[in-house]
Amino acid sequence: MTDVLEATELVESTALDSPWVTIVWNDPVNLMNYVAYVFRSYFGFSRAEAERRMLQVHNDGRAVVATGSREEMERHVEAMHDFGLWATLTKANA
Amino acid sequence: MKAFRRSRHQFVAVFEPAEAGTLSQLASQIIALLDEPAARAADPAMMRLLPDAYPDDTEASEEFRRFTADDLAGRKASNARRMIADLARAAAAASPTAVKVDAQAAQAWIRALTDIRLTIAVRLGIETDDGPGSDDAAPLDPVLHDLYDWLGFVQGSLVDCLDH
Repeated sequence: MTDVLEATELVESTALDSPWVTIVWNDPVNLMNYVAYVFRSYFGFSRAEAERRMLQVHNDGRAVVATGSREEMERHVEAMHDFGLWATLTKANA
Repeated sequence: MKAFRRSRHQFVAVFEPAEAGTLSQLASQIIALLDEPAARAADPAMMRLLPDAYPDDTEASEEFRRFTADDLAGRKASNARRMIADLARAAAAASPTAVKVDAQAAQAWIRALTDIRLTIAVRLGIETDDGPGSDDAAPLDPVLHDLYDWLGFVQGSLVDCLDH
């Protein structure tokens, strides 16, 4: 029995280690230049990349802005909430 | 108001006394909401300032909020306080006054202006790019809508300075 339980836990922890993503959602309030500035200054994107992701948020309603561990993504989401951007995290491929 | 422009290592805008006073008052109102956990829970605008982190997981969102909301609200209130302090002289002046904002304060300003705009947008019912209160529709509250647009102008000009 013990062996079975340990095996199950191992599988679960592997699943938990799969990547998470930070998503920024479109909103009607935040200015386009502000969103691009936040992406550039916080995530270190180039001007062109920040612009591309900002337009993705604007046109598609959302964009993935970071991928990594759950803890890292929670830090990014909190930082985006600091800026007043509407950000969430979710499991990648979920 | 004269838009923000860069002057060496700081950003300068000229505010009328009434404009500086209005902006200070709005910042004070945000602080009052943020400082009071009961007010936070009851106000729909606060759901936008401290949104759910997990869209499909209420429990995880609650837990995230439990661990982060007080700190986030504290930082937001302190951003608003910084803006009030920077505006004090212009608000008390008899004529238009230059307000100087350094690089660190500018970070507080852009966040505080965003929080104020988000709160007003909730009051105006601005939910989508084309929804009520947007430029194409008749504004629900013309005075508040003008104020909202003006705040966008103030913030936009500061972001332009930061971004170039």
